[in-house]
Amino acid sequence: MIENVPGAQNVEEVLAHDPIYAVLGRRIAHPVVLGVLLFLIVVAVIVFGPSAESRFIYTDF
Amino acid sequence: MRVLGALGTAVLVMLLLLAGLDRAVAAWFPRFDRVSDNFSPAYLEREVEALAHDPPQTIFIGDSVLWGYKLPAADAAPTLLRRKGLAASNLSFEGGSPANTYAMLRLLESHGVHPRLVVFNVNQKEFSQADSAYQKLHPSLETLSWNLLTADERKLLTPTPPSTTQKPIEVQLDRWVTSFWQLYALRSDIREWLFGDVDAVHALDDAIQAASGAKARTDAAHKPTPDRFEGTYDLSPIDEQNVSLIFLEKTIALLARDHIPAIAILTPTNHTLLHEFIDVPEYEKNLAFTHKLLASGGVRVIDLDKAFKAAEFIDNDHLTAAGNQRLAGTLGPVLAQ
Repeated sequence: MIENVPGAQNVEEVLAHDPIYAVLGRRIAHPVVLGVLLFLIVVAVIVFGPSAESRFIYTDF
Repeated sequence: MRVLGALGTAVLVMLLLLAGLDRAVAAWFPRFDRVSDNFSPAYLEREVEALAHDPPQTIFIGDSVLWGYKLPAADAAPTLLRRKGLAASNLSFEGGSPANTYAMLRLLESHGVHPRLVVFNVNQKEFSQADSAYQKLHPSLETLSWNLLTADERKLLTPTPPSTTQKPIEVQLDRWVTSFWQLYALRSDIREWLFGDVDAVHALDDAIQAASGAKARTDAAHKPTPDRFEGTYDLSPIDEQNVSLIFLEKTIALLARDHIPAIAILTPTNHTLLHEFIDVPEYEKNLAFTHKLLASGGVRVIDLDKAFKAAEFIDNDHLTAAGNQRLAGTLGPVLAQ
């Protein structure tokens, strides 16, 4: 028996009791979650990325 | 096959979300009190297109003085005038000059914008070849206006050199992506909006510098002293070959041709700081020359060259928040007419 999950004999049985895994484990959820993750990564790269397009030509004293 | 199907679904979900976000950005991205430090061609084009649909209003087209250098947008004179009810838009930016004013007017004209009034400033330092904007357009303005200029006009200008950090294929790819993806095209404006700086790293660095006191020490070390401005003002007579003069004349002609009322501000200048360089007859002659040129072309001139005290300046020509308040107070009654 694995600790905290009465009756569970292996990792799969433990995960089966986890509500998050229950969502992630659904066949349709995998690519959707991956798509959302990819979206967040793309947006984060654009928003938090370093500015390489400085147009500043004003010269201070 | 199953993996490929899953990947296809993931990419489709990502694209759908990006398309949705892009629609939201296009619809709701704000119009600022002034263009950002590092505004993109996409933002400027968006602003000009919006102005074409707005009722005619006063449009400020100036340099960093009217932009509100080193001040929050809320403290700049054009913003203060807007807060008092003036229907106005501030298209001034750091690095303005007569060439930039002319190019901006051509851009507005090409989009069918009919200003109620154009307010621009004429800064004597910009007639100097040493000025960084003497014959350079702001890169974003250049992107949008270059093809609107004649071949002769383009010959007078130095185009922005190609990027040294990007390969030609990257530049092409960048242009292609920019053409259909608003989030990407507006990235520099989005970063300034979110972080108040060119990007998150600079914003973090600024916060650390401010917290450690390093910023205060740097600012103290950069107090403007007269020697820093030696050579900023070219006192030789402004001649017909002067690029800024040529574009100022073109600006006057364009305003007259399009029947656009205009006010030119002779830029407030810190005569206390610059006394040894500009309190000479040559400076006065050049100032009088531009004044006469503008007035004879039908542009109303407000001469503020000596109208401000040294305490109202940050440096040679940029006004403090109090200086901007007084500038707004001076312009308000004139613009309300």
